[in-house]
Amino acid sequence: MQNILQRYRSTSFDTQSVLKILMILVGLVLLASAFSQGVFLQPKNLVNLIYQNALLIVIALGQMLVIITGGIDLSVGSMLAISSVLVVLFQDYGLPASIAIALIASVAFGLVNGFLVTYVRLPAFVVTLATMQIISSIAKVLSGGGAIYTGLHGAEIPVGLGEFYKNTLAGIPYPLFVCLIVIGLAALYLRSSIGHYTFSIGGNERAAYLSGIPTRLVKMAVYVISAALCCLGGVLFVARVGMGDPQTGTWIPLDSIAAVSIGGASLSGGTGTILGTLIGVVILSVLNNIMNLLGVPPTLQPAIKGIVILLAVYLNSARKQN
Amino acid sequence: MRAKIYPSQVVGFAEQNSALVALVIVCLLGALFVSNFASGMNLSAILFQYAIIGFLGLGQLLVILTGGIDLSQGAQVAMISIITAVLMRQAGVLPAVLGSLLVGTVFGLTNGLLVSRTRMPAFVVTLGTMGVARGLAQVISDSKPIAIEVGSFVDFGRSTLAGIPVSAILWVVVSLGLWFFLAQRRTGRHIYAVGGSEESARLSGIAVKNVKLLVFGLSGLLSAVGGIIWTARLSSGSPLGGNGYEMESIAAVIVGGGYMLGGIGTVSGTVVGVLLFGVINSILNLVGISPYWQGTIKGILILAAVALSQFRRIDHGSQARRS
Amino acid sequence: MDHQPPVLSMRKICKSFAGIQVLKEVDLDLYAGEAHCLVGENGAGKSTLIKIISGAYQPDSGSITYQGQLLKNVSPHWAREHGINTIYQEIDLIPTLSAAENISLGIEPIKKNGSIDWPALRERATKILEGWGAEINVDVPVNTLKVAYQQMVAIAKALSLNNRVLILDEPTAVFTSSEIDLLFSILQKLKSQGIALLYISHHLDEIFRIGDRVTVLRDGTLIRTGAVDEFNKSSLVKAMVGRDIDFSLRNGDHCQGEELLRAEGVTRHGVVEDASFSLHCGEIVGVAGLVGAGRTEMARLLVGADRPDRGKLYLRGQPVEVGSPKEALLKGIGMLPENRKEEGLVLMRSMSENIAYSLVEKDARFGLVPWRKIKKAVQDMIQAVDIRPARPALQVLYMSGGNQQKVVLSRLLLAECDLMILDEPTRGVDVGARLEIYKIMQALKKQGKAILMISSDLPEILTQADRILVMAKGRIAGELTAAEATEEKVLSIALRLGEAV
Repeated sequence: MQNILQRYRSTSFDTQSVLKILMILVGLVLLASAFSQGVFLQPKNLVNLIYQNALLIVIALGQMLVIITGGIDLSVGSMLAISSVLVVLFQDYGLPASIAIALIASVAFGLVNGFLVTYVRLPAFVVTLATMQIISSIAKVLSGGGAIYTGLHGAEIPVGLGEFYKNTLAGIPYPLFVCLIVIGLAALYLRSSIGHYTFSIGGNERAAYLSGIPTRLVKMAVYVISAALCCLGGVLFVARVGMGDPQTGTWIPLDSIAAVSIGGASLSGGTGTILGTLIGVVILSVLNNIMNLLGVPPTLQPAIKGIVILLAVYLNSARKQN
Repeated sequence: MRAKIYPSQVVGFAEQNSALVALVIVCLLGALFVSNFASGMNLSAILFQYAIIGFLGLGQLLVILTGGIDLSQGAQVAMISIITAVLMRQAGVLPAVLGSLLVGTVFGLTNGLLVSRTRMPAFVVTLGTMGVARGLAQVISDSKPIAIEVGSFVDFGRSTLAGIPVSAILWVVVSLGLWFFLAQRRTGRHIYAVGGSEESARLSGIAVKNVKLLVFGLSGLLSAVGGIIWTARLSSGSPLGGNGYEMESIAAVIVGGGYMLGGIGTVSGTVVGVLLFGVINSILNLVGISPYWQGTIKGILILAAVALSQFRRIDHGSQARRS
Repeated sequence: MDHQPPVLSMRKICKSFAGIQVLKEVDLDLYAGEAHCLVGENGAGKSTLIKIISGAYQPDSGSITYQGQLLKNVSPHWAREHGINTIYQEIDLIPTLSAAENISLGIEPIKKNGSIDWPALRERATKILEGWGAEINVDVPVNTLKVAYQQMVAIAKALSLNNRVLILDEPTAVFTSSEIDLLFSILQKLKSQGIALLYISHHLDEIFRIGDRVTVLRDGTLIRTGAVDEFNKSSLVKAMVGRDIDFSLRNGDHCQGEELLRAEGVTRHGVVEDASFSLHCGEIVGVAGLVGAGRTEMARLLVGADRPDRGKLYLRGQPVEVGSPKEALLKGIGMLPENRKEEGLVLMRSMSENIAYSLVEKDARFGLVPWRKIKKAVQDMIQAVDIRPARPALQVLYMSGGNQQKVVLSRLLLAECDLMILDEPTRGVDVGARLEIYKIMQALKKQGKAILMISSDLPEILTQADRILVMAKGRIAGELTAAEATEEKVLSIALRLGEAV
């Protein structure tokens, strides 16, 4: 036992935090299995888990990058919504074109977020809170207020997209495939030099700047990446439900921040792991499952999630710089 | 040489009171170009609507002065409106009002406890409690609005004194009281101290934790007042209310000269900020812009206003740096 | 001093943080009217001890007796109310409030109706400050005042109560010598009023100037307590470090190589005026001057952290523009910032990550970082520079000041800078680590690097630098060689253009 403890203490703090939440996850899974009398661990249920969370995983990874730099992106939900609207709206020009338009719009929003945080030096939560509402309004303007199912001139969503969630490639369902690609890219990002810069900026921006790191570029980049991933989420959304909805994504900001926090990242920046974030998403999902199994009313669940975030942040908040 | 240059004097004054200048300009523009803007009915409508934001703004000012922020205000309005409606059905006006004020204060104190006794940043705490408040509002009301039939209460929502809405008068009175408190009382000055430098305040023997508890409690109380007035205006409790109100209250404080990191801000500035947004809102309505576009324009204006204020603040900050 | 009992008496004080014991059974007696100096290397426990006295920390065990009474659970508020006041290195004023408000913070005079009595508030402040002959505006926010004035307001704040014990933690770090004289005359007055002074300083001359008794701490343990007369500089330092220190670590020979950097008329309005000088390979150039002379600002211009309004820079004879610290590093110019915690280190990341910045940039191909190769280079550096503890994964947060400084230095070394600008390299660093840093500097000089050393420690500049640039009010007021320089000469140049604050 002593040896194990010693080895634990000598690993980096990032590894320690992942191990901690892994244990929590195992505990929760056992709990869920118990409540569901074994149904939870069946492969069908687990595959369902992936389907339900592909969107959140993709967006949470983007949120993780922003949080590592010490920022936060509350506009992810609205960006998801407007991307879904744009993809459907411009169907008349074909799927690739509509996705391209959505991507350009998302990148533009990301640049606005990044600019205001980096150059005007407004706190990220204020900026993204405001852009969240602005983008949401624009989405409603574009869609006329409600969900849309066809493009401007009546083009329908291609069948292939709708089948996306049902098809597999070499046995792996498409959504999972997409997740794996994004996870791979995120891992590459964190191990690269820009990843190193991202961690440093989150830990101490001034020191990072004086050490020669292009802090402003990196900060702008993470907001743009987050926006781009929201666009991807928007495409996944359309694939799953077949419509563009300006009102979707209300809980995405809260969920993504919760996942990243539970995963061990500190909201003041400088820490964060991909594995942790993924585990965070899974824990959230399991929590949802447990709440459903226990018969908790759906309207109360966001409140409980709010409490969970507070708990997660509280447990992680001991690691602020100074 | 005595500088007799009039424009520069005007510019200097304008810089310090840019919110007031903006308010005057926008009012002039409204009066000149927008029909019905300058009518008594319209002006009183603005006050009816923005007295609510006014109360929220005062609470937000207190919180921002200590370097915090209260993102849960809008959700509180919704939650309080439901509680008011429910209590009024069960027990009558007075218990409903008192009960709501109590709940609001307790909610605010909970925020304050979490912010002051843990190391969680205020925006996270109030983000979390915002979700909790909305959730509670929806659970209690089963996601449906609750109508209120008590005449006296509904009348209060519409009553005026010499043409000015009573709620607005109440707001002015509370603002004056708060102004006095912040300028002349020890605890008021201590609020500025905590925002200016928390560690120094602590070392000077100021009970920083209690100050934070106080400002959040007051913000909760003031949000409850806002919620009650809102409910009276609507004559029903609604779980969907207060959407985006915290954004406007934050913007009002900042535009009125407040500093996001604390220590700087005034009641008068916040009042002007609230009025400014009220006037802009009215103009957008009168010109007939669709509500969705309104949301966009208001959001952009808020963002621009906050960005500009903080931009100037950065300049001032760097000027006063050590030699 | 007399045969009266001590005002404050501490017995067997122990304190640990996160398992590390910082104070081990320390005893201390403070008598009324004495100036008791507390000395020791960094990490010896001095700051922790005074924080316990002032109520900011609670001891794990041990007793404190104050004016005959045993103290329990002292809070800063209680301490202040009962006459124990502390002046910290960090100026603990509220920057947005006025001097008058700051001086009476927490104890503002109130009228009968409970509101603040503003005239009384102002008077309290002006009475103290004018008594000192310092013309300070008590109505404006203190962050608009000069730093030295701010420090005086902080002292005024501490003095405005019924003092019995006044604790000063390195108060003169940012003072000119005339300000130090002012401070000491105030302290003498306080002594004669029967106030007990506890004075922490790294500056041994101050201790011999003002101190009556001295307590030496080392690694949290009490080494010796006695009258100042019982010591001289070297015996004091020996007690602090437990070994003989060779004070005459004089600089090695000066072998000036080719010109590396030349500045002509570099100006940034308001802070640096018309700076012209040149730096050569294989030399250490010291930059002396009073606080506010613009030394750090000039360094920032050289390294690209700020942009000059006018002037030219030449690197090896070629005109060059440095637009950002990143560009500077690429051109071989690196800086060790004045404030390492805020500007030099990412405290929550590990030692090796902090050291590896420059390598990450240089060795990354298509963004991919060869971590294994970098790890080896980092480990070699840790050995070479003797960083303790030698654990690359350790968060820098947990390291001592001297070792943190070595981490930043390692980064510059790995970046293979030709010109290294060191801003206060030994500030807050204990004597042992200080000597190691000097050795590193000497070695670099022999290798042909150029070092620009900004320092407020005159003896340090006089022993380490080959040439000394003296700055005053943003200008380079004079230049001296090591041979001709003395403390008095440097000071007189620094003062000639600058007035006493």
